[in-house]
Amino acid sequence: MSTQSSDPSAQRSSKPFWELVKIQGKLALREPYSLIFGVALPVFLLAVFSLVPAFWEPLPGTTLTVFEIYIPILMVLILIMIGLLGLPISLVRDREIGWLRRISTTPVLPSKLLAAQVTINTILAVVGFVILGAGSVLIFRVRSQFDVVGFVLSLVLTTAVMFSLGLAVAALAPSQGAATGITMGLLYPMLFFAGVYVPMQMLPDSLQTISGFTPAGAAVKALGDAMQGNFPSVVSLVVMAVYALLLGYIAIRYFKWE
Amino acid sequence: MGVQLQESSLPPRIKVGEALDLFSSFYSDPLDSQELLESLGIDKKRNSIFKRLSGGQKQRLSIALALIGNPKIAILDELTTGLDPEARRETWELIERIRDRGVTVILVTHYMDEAEWLCDRVALINHGKVIAMDTPTALASRWSGAIHMEFLPSAPVADDVLLALPGVASVEHRGRRIVVAGEGDLTTRVLNALMKEGVGTSDIRVKTGNLEDAFVRLTQKNDKYPKREVTLK
Repeated sequence: MSTQSSDPSAQRSSKPFWELVKIQGKLALREPYSLIFGVALPVFLLAVFSLVPAFWEPLPGTTLTVFEIYIPILMVLILIMIGLLGLPISLVRDREIGWLRRISTTPVLPSKLLAAQVTINTILAVVGFVILGAGSVLIFRVRSQFDVVGFVLSLVLTTAVMFSLGLAVAALAPSQGAATGITMGLLYPMLFFAGVYVPMQMLPDSLQTISGFTPAGAAVKALGDAMQGNFPSVVSLVVMAVYALLLGYIAIRYFKWE
Repeated sequence: MGVQLQESSLPPRIKVGEALDLFSSFYSDPLDSQELLESLGIDKKRNSIFKRLSGGQKQRLSIALALIGNPKIAILDELTTGLDPEARRETWELIERIRDRGVTVILVTHYMDEAEWLCDRVALINHGKVIAMDTPTALASRWSGAIHMEFLPSAPVADDVLLALPGVASVEHRGRRIVVAGEGDLTTRVLNALMKEGVGTSDIRVKTGNLEDAFVRLTQKNDKYPKREVTLK
């Protein structure tokens, strides 16, 4: 029932997309799941960590302070919270109330709404990174020897893998309740393998190996390597790329608009 | 073409004005959103968020979104379902105003009174098939069947007298009252016959068939599955 063919000018214009981004941005501030969990929580953790003397000390057996170990973990935490928690819950909600279907009756493709959601959540993640980065440098005086290319590559892959995971959940979950359930089921193992509870460096080798093959573990490892001036291991990058492609395929293949 | 969907709602915290501006950006030649809101009587709600609107206001916004693209045809689905009678009447007036602007309105409804009141042409759809299409009056008179005339006679009347009249199908007694069912110019014939018999009548009630009767008959004729009506203006 849409009128794609009869109104091609609106199709070609990028105005609807930016209007969608604008509205979704406003909504993201009024329903701030991503903002609270993705941006406020890491900032809160940063503040708490700065008050704990142990975080300023080097971790036994390494040359890094505990906080330096935690920087990549917090970056991945931001992406887990935004990609896995914020993105699918709002998308499934929009589908459940018929908002996606409503958009599909206009000349604009509903995929633009999806793209707008991803854009807004990416912007939120960047805000989170900037605050985290500023806090690390200004409060903890972190001076890392970045491998810039490896770092950017790892960050892009981490974003891709977490967002495609969220989109795959949104594609497979039939309802908001199911989306929340699946998200929660994935969230705690992901947080564990990212090392949010205990950094992987402090756990047995076998767990570290397993962690390296999970999206969150591979992401923390790649980002950590790059922040110490080394190019991330190919294994970590490949693991993330494979997950991103697989989950992205599932998201595209099974996503329902209504 | 503009579409309003039955079970479709907006993000709870989107503002009326934002939703309208968003949709207006989707079309190449949209209407002026302020004028549209004024004509729908919700211009004062421009800065209200969706979930704070009443049922009627949500419907108005939904209609506004269907019309913002300046369509030639607007499809409105189950527009007044769940509205209170006053809001329903107001919505009807609104649809009449939309029609007067030259928009062809395709209204989907279960309410026969709504179809009778608003529509120039009605299509009855049963099981996905159009089973009848005509003006509401023509459909009602053709398919609604019997006219029922009920009255209180001043003296007893023999059934045979009434049954002998052309067009009378049955005669029933309800206490002292008589109910005559039949077709055609039933009322005049019965009254004339009673006058000849010297019987007076009081408390006469005549129930003619309406679109609802026509609908029930037409769909029963086909089968007993849930039915739905699409009406065209």
